[in-house]
Amino acid sequence: MNGISCSINALNGLYDISGVEVGQHFYWQIGGFQVHAQVLITSWVVIAILLGSAIIAVRNPQTIPTAGQNFFEYVLEFIRDVSKTQIGEEYGPWVPFIGTMFLFIFVSNWSGALLPWKIIQLPHGELAAPTNDINTTVALALLTSVAYFYAGLSKKGLGYFSKYIQPTPILLPINILEDFTKPLSLSFRLFGNILADELVVVVLVSLVPSVVPIPVMFLGLFTSGIQALIFATLAAAYIGESMEGHH
Amino acid sequence: MASMIMASSKPVITVVASSSKPKHQKIPQLSLPKIPTPKFLKIQQVPTLKSISLLTLTSLSFAPPSLAAEIEKAALFDFNLTLPIMMVQFLLLMFALDKVYFTPLGKFMDERDSAIKEKLSSVKDTSEEVKQLEEQANSIMRAARAEISAALNKMKKETQLEVEQKLAEGRKKVEAELQEALANLENQKEETIKSLDSQIAALSQDIVKKVLPL
Repeated sequence: MNGISCSINALNGLYDISGVEVGQHFYWQIGGFQVHAQVLITSWVVIAILLGSAIIAVRNPQTIPTAGQNFFEYVLEFIRDVSKTQIGEEYGPWVPFIGTMFLFIFVSNWSGALLPWKIIQLPHGELAAPTNDINTTVALALLTSVAYFYAGLSKKGLGYFSKYIQPTPILLPINILEDFTKPLSLSFRLFGNILADELVVVVLVSLVPSVVPIPVMFLGLFTSGIQALIFATLAAAYIGESMEGHH
Repeated sequence: MASMIMASSKPVITVVASSSKPKHQKIPQLSLPKIPTPKFLKIQQVPTLKSISLLTLTSLSFAPPSLAAEIEKAALFDFNLTLPIMMVQFLLLMFALDKVYFTPLGKFMDERDSAIKEKLSSVKDTSEEVKQLEEQANSIMRAARAEISAALNKMKKETQLEVEQKLAEGRKKVEAELQEALANLENQKEETIKSLDSQIAALSQDIVKKVLPL
């Protein structure tokens, strides 16, 4: 009994040090509504990083690219490749959407893993990757839904809705259900992966503060990149799917 | 599918809920959707959200039971105005990135690609051009060589002529000198002969006088 209380005390101390804060937010009031300030702040930083680096690197394009321009050209070619393989020949107009989706999620995830957000103390909650808040991921997933509906409707008009009764009308419920499961799976996959990754790192750091968390951190970087790629690829695949002709 | 998932998840919820009675009173306080979210989201997620947040809450409080009271309610699925703000931010970012990055750099890359392709396709024409240029160079070289050899020949001839002229001059000079010397010799010969003649007459008189005494 004594031992148990001792260990509980030790754990208590660890909890004070590590300060694992899950689902606690720094609230701002905007016109009677609450917002998660920590998410907005970090997303502004991510947006600033993206816009700033893009402006600096692409300001004056050279025929023989400089290092920064070369990197951005590589990224653009990568995004075009992803969009082209998923959407097909008419991928052009969707490059900004897919590209922004990929870059925003990627930089958000990596900022959570690389930037020392925890140095900045908030009155409540803590700064972390914007993508470990459900609001962000659901916002991105809903935008994806809007995007593929728009793609299908603008390509085929009202004929788009005929895909719900193909190949047979029996599949109508499943086809309708798909429209809800797509954003749900997109948002929860991203949210769960990033949150779990950050939690694993925080818990490991609180238990073994040196060396041991490093492989997990690298795994986190890897996972973050993969999640960004998956989100962008799936968004492109949904758009391509709603644009392709049904035979 | 969906009903199966629901069916499999239901017992877990009840077990968890029954195992942590004291915390059960807290659950209603979990701040789930505060602002009206789209209807379908609400209908779909409320049961699962509740169960997941409950799970995380219980799992967090599982290790040190005494800490459960200290941990605040975890609002993992706290939807509010952040969601539409993030949407607007994303759209703004998309337009801004399109303006500064995707469109300008994409256009630039396409133009460069087409320029490179054009240059590559025009390489065949340049090979003919190269041949022409080579021929031109060859003809120029030939002309230059001919010119050089002509000049050389001319120079050779000129020098030969000069040399011959000088030789002839030298020969003439030598001949003239020879002639002069020969003439001199002849003169001297004649003079000596003359002087000898006069001496011969005197000597013959002397001889006659001595031989024929008068």
